[in-house]
Amino acid sequence: MATSPSELVASPSLHKDGVSGPPFPRVLIANRGEIAVRLIRACHELGMEAVAIYSDADVCAAHVRLADRAMRVGPPPPAESYLRIDAIIQAALQAGAVAVHPGYGFLAERAAFARAVEAAGLAFVGPPSESIDALGDKLHARRTARSVGVEAVPGTLEPAPIDRPDQVDAIMADAERIGFPLLVKAAAGGGGRGMRRVATPAELPAALVSGSREAASAFGDGSVYLEREIRPARHIEVQLLGDVTGRVVALGERDCSLQRRHQKLVEEAPAPGLTTEDRRHLHELAVRVAAAAGLRNAATAEFLRAPDGAFYFLEVNTRLQVEHGVTELVAGFDIVREQFLLAAGRPLSEAALAAAARAAEPAGHAIEVRLSAEDPGRDFAPTPGRVLRWTMPSGPGVRVDTAIEAGDRVPAEYDNLIAKVMVHAGDRDATIDRLRRALDETEIAGIQTTLPFHRFVARDSSFRAGDLSTGWVAEHWDGPAEYRKAAEAAQLAAGLAALDAALTAGAAMIPADPVIAGVHPTGNGRWQRSGLEAAQDRWPR
Amino acid sequence: MSAVPHPGLAVPAAGDGRMPDPRGVRVTLAPGAASADLPPLVIEPPQTPLVPTARVTGKGLLGGAAPVRPAPPPDPDEHRHVLLNEIPTEAELLPLDAERAILARGGPGGTRDRLLLPTASAPGAGRGVVRREIVVDGWRIEVDVEPAARAALRERARRGREAVGHSGPTEVHAIIPGVVVSVSVTPGDAVTAGQQLLVVEAMKMQNELRAPRDGTIERVVVGSGRTIEVGDLLLVIS
Repeated sequence: MATSPSELVASPSLHKDGVSGPPFPRVLIANRGEIAVRLIRACHELGMEAVAIYSDADVCAAHVRLADRAMRVGPPPPAESYLRIDAIIQAALQAGAVAVHPGYGFLAERAAFARAVEAAGLAFVGPPSESIDALGDKLHARRTARSVGVEAVPGTLEPAPIDRPDQVDAIMADAERIGFPLLVKAAAGGGGRGMRRVATPAELPAALVSGSREAASAFGDGSVYLEREIRPARHIEVQLLGDVTGRVVALGERDCSLQRRHQKLVEEAPAPGLTTEDRRHLHELAVRVAAAAGLRNAATAEFLRAPDGAFYFLEVNTRLQVEHGVTELVAGFDIVREQFLLAAGRPLSEAALAAAARAAEPAGHAIEVRLSAEDPGRDFAPTPGRVLRWTMPSGPGVRVDTAIEAGDRVPAEYDNLIAKVMVHAGDRDATIDRLRRALDETEIAGIQTTLPFHRFVARDSSFRAGDLSTGWVAEHWDGPAEYRKAAEAAQLAAGLAALDAALTAGAAMIPADPVIAGVHPTGNGRWQRSGLEAAQDRWPR
Repeated sequence: MSAVPHPGLAVPAAGDGRMPDPRGVRVTLAPGAASADLPPLVIEPPQTPLVPTARVTGKGLLGGAAPVRPAPPPDPDEHRHVLLNEIPTEAELLPLDAERAILARGGPGGTRDRLLLPTASAPGAGRGVVRREIVVDGWRIEVDVEPAARAALRERARRGREAVGHSGPTEVHAIIPGVVVSVSVTPGDAVTAGQQLLVVEAMKMQNELRAPRDGTIERVVVGSGRTIEVGDLLLVIS
């Protein structure tokens, strides 16, 4: 690092609460959408100026409007804008920023970006590039876990030698030892890319080759390895914070079992059904892996929980997670604020240590649903477009992180996530009630979103019972059937609205006097009736 | 039930500004977006005879069935009956404001769904057809609303076209009375199915008449400005 982050502290003067002034005078937010808005808000709360970056698709986006300054980085495609390390570093230097927060996605877990930021003399708000490198390689992370006695999902620890025909028998032997069905996974992977499920030995060679090819095109690294498929499994992750002294603490865990295509849909904290001992044990495992990897700033250790209650280490995400908000709500603690302080070289704050001490015995419960521009009736296909109506819930215990307003366009170029609706209450039952209420208040028109799915989840008895697994969505959600029910109601409502409007308009032309059977008050001449009929018959049959 | 008067739900106007027919509307799911194949829904108000006792028989001006008039404009009432595909059903739309409403089905003990009927109408679906967006339980659904009578007419015309065989010359007859505004073909022209043949103005609406099949125009019987009645021979395709 060219400059120590602590030298960049703007003002050494102490606030009255004992915290010294803003950690940085000006920060570049290398992201867009709701997370950029979330980060800019934290900057402003800490008294820092926020510099946004934008592509041509985001000239009027919310994060640009909220920031103190905005720098254009390129045309809409991510590869030409939000993924351009050189343009972003240049924007940061030009705007006079001294730190860069990557958010999640885009460049957040690219060690090359962290290195470039450090080389430019700026502070990277996140784990150091060495940690990103070490933990981004899943095989390295698995070996690290084993070295400190944390059990990873059973599988191989070295890349499968798929380019060595003489090693085929060795791979098959590994596979037989792990047991079928198993998963072929990319060492550099994430988001399910390069992943293949293999049910029988005969499918293995093809899965290794296609998984490796997909991994090579997605990550530039075709290394794949084998891992047992744990099913049904729960996906539980632990929020971690570390400071420059090497101290690492866990703030609590989240259950993110509700997924489709390895993308999370619903997250909650704490994970339901765990005892205090389970939590202590899980948090301790996560801290052990992270400490061994030299983690600093914020990261998340992911585990699978088998039906017998055993935890298996999966991987570490070296960034702020999308779902960090539920932990913030339960812990009563601002993770993003702490990230900035940690990046400036400060030790873990008193608030962070207090939150970590409470982590195994959480008071309260929080659930987040990800509202995405996707059609849950058509296998969550993306639905970009213009949002015409946008009414987000509010009231007790509701937090909405979004960058959308009515009239905004959801661009097709970027992530489909448009809002995170988080609810917080004393216990899980009350939280689910609050979620149902909040989603009933939510009104979105113009584009299809995942709102119907989330409304279904909030009413579902197995979700309330805490009966969660990564296969939950496939087992419980029948999108087309739900759509059909709603479409029937929509047909009826549209017809009734049109009919009522027509009758109301027609009423103006009907005499106010009631027509009594057979006798019209002013006579019932044939001409009169004929005229009335003609008036009523003006629509084509 | 709530007796509070409401301004009614704003209905986006059809392309040409005409109101839907109070005698009944037909609602279909807009093509493309739908992932469910729901049949069209015809909604009619309960038909109340205008003169139920003094039924006139014979061949007079009022001969035949007693004239009917639509039910009066509704007050919000959960017990309101409508005919859904000719089946009497209790269904009522209770507006909350200009864009929100509650759909009450099956009377007081039935279901109540909250829905959103945004006034901004979707891109037009065609003449006389209103396309609008309804949001139910978070689902965004686009439907096409048109007068049921008009839909039935189109349906009849389609069946008529299908019934037409492909052997021998086809006589094209008028299916509506009116005035021929223009004739776009002359004898000897080759036409393809769906091509416009002539335009008939009826009830201040211009109706295109399209070729029922491929062929060559053998004869054109009518000219522009001519008044025609239902069943009149217009032209022959061979």
